[in-house]
This record gives sequence, structure tokens and C-alpha cells, in this order.
Amino acid sequence: MLCLGIESTAHTFSCAVIEKKQKRGKILSDIRRIYKPPEGQGIHPREASRHHIENSSSILSECLDESKIKINDLDMIAYAGGPGLGPCLRVGAVVARSLSSYYKIPIYPVNHAIGHLDLGKLLTGAKNPLVLLVSGGHTMLLAFVSGRWRVFGETLDITLGQLLDQFGRSLGFASPCGRKIEELATKSSKYISLPYTVKGNDVSFSGLLSATKNISSQGFDSACFSLQETAFAMIAEATERALSFTNKKELMIVGGVAANKRLSSMLKDVCRRQSSKFFVVPLNYAGDCGSQIAWTGLLESQVKKGASMKDTFVKQSWRLDTVDIDY
Amino acid sequence: MKLVKKGAEADVYLSSWNGKKAILKIRKEKTYRNSVLDKRIRKQRTIKESEIISQVKSFGVSTPLIYFLDVNKCSILMQYIDGKLVRDMNEKAIEKCCFEIGKVVGVLHKNGIMHGDLTTSNFILTKKQLVLIDFGLANRTEKPDDHAVDLRLFKEILNSAHANILKKSWDNFLKGYSKSVGEKYCKKIIKLVAVIESRGRYATVV
Repeated sequence: MLCLGIESTAHTFSCAVIEKKQKRGKILSDIRRIYKPPEGQGIHPREASRHHIENSSSILSECLDESKIKINDLDMIAYAGGPGLGPCLRVGAVVARSLSSYYKIPIYPVNHAIGHLDLGKLLTGAKNPLVLLVSGGHTMLLAFVSGRWRVFGETLDITLGQLLDQFGRSLGFASPCGRKIEELATKSSKYISLPYTVKGNDVSFSGLLSATKNISSQGFDSACFSLQETAFAMIAEATERALSFTNKKELMIVGGVAANKRLSSMLKDVCRRQSSKFFVVPLNYAGDCGSQIAWTGLLESQVKKGASMKDTFVKQSWRLDTVDIDY
Repeated sequence: MKLVKKGAEADVYLSSWNGKKAILKIRKEKTYRNSVLDKRIRKQRTIKESEIISQVKSFGVSTPLIYFLDVNKCSILMQYIDGKLVRDMNEKAIEKCCFEIGKVVGVLHKNGIMHGDLTTSNFILTKKQLVLIDFGLANRTEKPDDHAVDLRLFKEILNSAHANILKKSWDNFLKGYSKSVGEKYCKKIIKLVAVIESRGRYATVV
């Protein structure tokens, strides 16, 4: 089975082709381009969608060229139906619908977050993990229980990605700011006290964001260091609580913030304490990409037929714990 | 000393006190946490836990008796409770137990205490009664918002770990809760829980 996956939930437009043979998936190509807002600003949905429109056709042809296949070879197309920014989602959906109806290829709307989880399992080989999904859109602790991914802990307000981005932007950096903050944090080891909010398995970052903005005058380096230390320790504690509660023997970390080295070193330590195995998605596939959409689409196609055109929706608020999973 | 449970926050050992079985809970240093932050959290929680665990006894909430406290080592020696974790009981029993849990939580809230970590693994059912443990995240607060956070966490646990019995268990919990705090306050908190849920990511808002 050959599937084209189209991702366009936020700043990334990406096309990927995956070939599935029995249980195995092979990524033939994965091309992406990321919309970069001006320094100090966040994603503007209209500008991001314009970027996606302008780049969609060249990314698509590059993707097909690299995988050395023709559109007619495709057995199916999957696109990210949500959650994400409406204008951006629509671009991916329009590309998918056009290809599907013109070339008569079955089409599948896919939940972007579930794509992260499925691709993570494919690439890391984790079998039954507790998953920490940390990105600009999500901060959730998940485990698969009776037919659904269930939330064992999550942020009560903004996500870890938003926390880093919004703080970075307040200093005038360009989004996404995670890497820049990580870089500055390594230059300091001066910890300034910040609010630490863990509520059971849940965390809350909004107060931490305001407090960190207030200490940024004491030096960017130490502010970034203290922010990372506090926020990641909160995540690590919530993760440890969920591991201990669920008795899972595997932890998998996926999403854009999974690329942060300090976070993964903390989580490694958590796993050592809880004698769990640690899996982290390869850097290249931690962030948003077409592969996650293609792979979940392929898995869904085992139990479902393609959607009819009128059911090819986009949904900005589409929580992953509302999706029934039958494969 | 035998390690009973390597918890998320502390290591729990089986120990003894004047010839009686006892539990030693030590909040050991976490190497992944910045040491300044780590010290602050461990000390604060050890003190809070031992204070509140004793305080709630005066409202009639069953908790382990504190024998000895070492603030520097962040350890608490307390009564051993012989019983079963609610989390590990069968579904019918959990469903039924949620009424009692609701009642206990209501008593706490009525007296200005939030537990902060209401999971089914923090309730032990003994032959005689339901015992509430682990007050590491507990706080003195009269704020309805904080009480709602308690309820939301419990609901989240039901929705994930006990998904098959969510509806009945949650209903039972609310019945028990309402019995303690009164119908009016219970309704108010349920509303606040919905508000917190709506603040969550991708909650149905659009």
C-alpha cells in the first residue's frame, strides 16, 4: 500500500509517502517547509495558510519525485483533519480533496495528534507505552486503554510549546523559540525561583509564563535556564506520577519539544527511577510531518474505507481522546 | 527495610515503630531536578503533608497516624494501613466506593482543605473504613476553584484508568460529595469543573 500524507495543521506544510507491507512501514519521502513569522510574533493563521498555498504544489511534486512514484501509483491519500488552525487545515484538505477526486484515490481525514503517536510507535518500536506528547499544540500524558488513547494528565491551560514560544517572543525571538531558549539556558546555571504548579498528574504553565517574563530583566540566560528547569521538572514529575499510577514499563516522548536535550535527559532519569524503558522519536520526525498523517491513514485503511467527499471535514478542536481506534 | 513502592514522589518502605508495623515515606533527592528547586519542593511537601494529614483527622477523615517526622531528611514515619487500594479492586466495588470517596472529599472541602492528588490509588479500603493517604499536594484553601481542580482530577482518572465505569462512578462520587457539602455548593463546583475543562486544549469551543 502506498499512501500520501498531507500535513498542514500549523506552521508546517508537508507531504510524505509511506509504503506499508504487512505491519511494516517505510518512509519513501517526507518533504516539508515551515512558515516563519517575523521575529517577536506568533503564527498568523492567514499568513501561514498563504505560505502553505504558495508552497503546496512544489512540495507535492518534490515529494513524489523523491519517492520515485507517480500520483496514479498511490493507493490512498490522508490529510490532517485537525486539530489545528482552520485556514491552515483547509489548505491541506483542499489539496487532498482535489487529488482524490481527480485521480479517484480513496481519501482519509486523520487526527494529527494520533499521527504523532502512531508514527512514534512505528519508529521507536515501543509496544505499550505511556506517551508524553509535547508540542506547540499539545502537552498530554496518554495511554491506550480499551479502544482509545486516554488522557492521564495534561496541561490545564497553555502547552509547553506555547510557554517556550510566548516567552521567547517576549524577548523578541522568532517562533518557534525552543532551540534558542535551550541554547541560552546552557550558558547559565543560576536558578531564580519560579512558581512550580503540579496538580496531580496535571500541570499549569500560565503563571510560570508571567513570572518568567518578570525575571527576564535579570538576564536572558538565567531566565531561560530557570524557565526550562522549572517547566521540565513539572513535566517530569507529572510523567513520573502517571508512570507510577499506570505501572507502564515504557515511556515514549513525541512532539516538537521532544527535540530538547535537557527535557529528554530529565525523562531518562525518571525512567531509570521507575525502571521503565525510554523511547524518544528520532529528531527528524519529532515535529509535524506528512509521515505521521500517512502512517495513521494507512493504519486506518485496514479497518475503514475511504471517506466520501462530503465527510472530508476539517475540525479545529478535535481532541484525540474522542477518536475510537479499531486497528 | 523493605521497599513497598517506588512512588513518583517518594520511596515508601515497610518499617516499624515501637513494635508496630509502620510506613516510612522518604522524599529522596531527585537528580533530574535543579537542586535549589528540588530541596524547596521536598521540604515544603513533607511539612505540608504531615500537618494536613493530622489536621483532617479532626474533621473525621481517616488518615494514617504520623509517628515521626524528619524535615531534613524529608521523611515521615506513619501508621501502616492494612487494606486494598481502590484502584486495584474490581469494577463493581470501585463504582460503589466512589460514593464514600465523594463523601470524604466533600468533608475535606467543607473544612477548607484540598487534597491535590485525588486518584484511586490514594484511597485504601480497610475492613472498617476508607482511608485517604498521600497529602503531598494538599493545601489549605477555601477557594471553590481549587476544590473544582480536585474534582476534575478525579474525573480525569475515572475517564482514563476506569473508563468502563466512568458514568456510574462519577454519579456516585457526586452523590457522596453533595451529601457532605450540600446540593447548592456541589452544583457550583460542577459548573467550575466544566469551566476548567473548557480551558483545556482543543476542548469543544469552536
